[in-house]
Amino acid sequence: MSRIALLAALIYFIILAGIGSLNGSVLELALPLVIYLLAGLWRGPETLNLSAERTISSERIKPGEIVTVNLTVSNHGDTLDQVSLQDPLPDFLELLEGSNNRLVRLPAHESLSWSYTLRGRRGSHNFSGLNVLAEDSLGLVVKRTFLPTHGQLLVLPSVARVRRIAIQPRQTRVYSGVIPAHQGGTGIEFFGLRSYQIGDSPHHINWRASARQNGTLYTNEYEQERVADVGIVLDGRSRINNFSDRSSIFDDAVLAAVAVSSALLSEGNRVGLLIYGDRARWTSPGYGKRQRERIMQNLALAKTGESQNFKSLFIPRRMFPTNSQIILISPLHADDLPLLAQLRVSGYPLMVISPDPVSFEARKLGNRDSVKLAARIARLEREIMLRHLRGLGIQVINWDTAMPFEQVARASLSRPVTFLRAIQRGVGA
Amino acid sequence: MTRNAIYASIFIGTVALAVGLALQEHLVPAIGVGLLGAAWTITYRRNMFWVASPAFALFTIISAVSIWAGVSSWLALACVISSLIAWDLTMFIQRLQATNESSPRVVRTHFLQLGFIAGLSVLGVLATTLIRISLTFGGAAILAMLGIWGISALVYRLRRHEDDIDV
Repeated sequence: MSRIALLAALIYFIILAGIGSLNGSVLELALPLVIYLLAGLWRGPETLNLSAERTISSERIKPGEIVTVNLTVSNHGDTLDQVSLQDPLPDFLELLEGSNNRLVRLPAHESLSWSYTLRGRRGSHNFSGLNVLAEDSLGLVVKRTFLPTHGQLLVLPSVARVRRIAIQPRQTRVYSGVIPAHQGGTGIEFFGLRSYQIGDSPHHINWRASARQNGTLYTNEYEQERVADVGIVLDGRSRINNFSDRSSIFDDAVLAAVAVSSALLSEGNRVGLLIYGDRARWTSPGYGKRQRERIMQNLALAKTGESQNFKSLFIPRRMFPTNSQIILISPLHADDLPLLAQLRVSGYPLMVISPDPVSFEARKLGNRDSVKLAARIARLEREIMLRHLRGLGIQVINWDTAMPFEQVARASLSRPVTFLRAIQRGVGA
Repeated sequence: MTRNAIYASIFIGTVALAVGLALQEHLVPAIGVGLLGAAWTITYRRNMFWVASPAFALFTIISAVSIWAGVSSWLALACVISSLIAWDLTMFIQRLQATNESSPRVVRTHFLQLGFIAGLSVLGVLATTLIRISLTFGGAAILAMLGIWGISALVYRLRRHEDDIDV
């Protein structure tokens, strides 16, 4: 029952009781209630004639950086006794100082300015406007309105600096870069020998090989280094990223995606990004700083979600050129193996960076014996799955998120996988 | 300050009505009113704000009925005004809690308005004790009908304002 209805019911009761009993003293009791209702009508807001302006100190910030939001609300109409001004904020933004929700009095033709400071985690928020609720000072007459304002805040994901990601795609593009192209030409690494041809630099003649063959000169050939097509797939399925205690490993996966894409773009590669969770978000392949910016913006908006379409791993082949390098960033699930095997069979060089969900969850569950045993079983199952993937020729990086990604990248991604295997064999011997 | 004002209003309303009933030797209803006031206070302390509306309605109804039982109309009026203030402040404090910053002017204006309502009510009742008009039952009934029509018009006006939403 609304407040007005309650008051009205009580007034009716008192009037009827007074008339019924022919007792004027009973009728007198209705007086405060009637005056209360009249006061509400007298001071109630008639029309709302308000406008709002907003300025934000910075529209793009890094996680943890502080941003100040200034708001000015102007009342072009009559005095408003009680106005609630609410600037809705999403969960990822934390209010540090000031207030986004105020109850104020707005005199006629006056403005009110105030500011508040925010800090945020990764995400994007469009400050579309203020929810306004104007009342008389007794709260009987309520009027609502929405004051549109402009402003957007983008909290970019954290950046892990990775110098180099060594990839070995089957096919490279025509532009020069740093990825070995499996073709002889100009470069740094020795590739092979061929007969001297007119125009070859005398510096490249292999005198030792030429001396062994009578009358024939040989020239050193070097491996061409070019740029490549790389497709990064970020797996945002809720069921594998989120855990029962509402924690999520997805932010670590985003951090890895930022590091990998930045490193590959800085080497001149053409990089595309596919993020999928509740829906797919595709950043078409591109080069350079502008592409990095597009990828960062999409990663800032990336969320986990669940959709029937993406129940299993989703890597649409038509989005990635044949033989291009695919980098999947996913905690992985046993059901994903067939699709990864299929991709590998189709000829895509595949790298999987897998934030380890077992270690992540075990850390949060404490040090009980039962947890240790469960974690051990889960780790064994995961290790079997990862070995299976490695057996298919997929480069797998199992990342315990307690370690910084830079460290993992330096140890496992800075050199070609064949080189790293050779080192491991050498250490084993 | 607002919380203390609520406690004080509940206390004054309860005491006024309970004393009025006790003076007329209606001890059981007086104890009942005391218990009702205590229950209202306790539920308010536990942030069960929804109790305020039924408690206010009960106090008002008991005040009206108690006049038949011979309770002083001033004590009944004190109870109605106090419970109205307690009920209003409970709603007000909810509005304050829904925001994380409120202007002291808003609180001051609210208290001033409540004071104005209470004062005007007392003055109005005082005026009725001075001005005596004898009415027949028919005249009283017509006046009552007019009063009900006036209140209905007022309520209609208030609710129409309330439903307006500017976009």
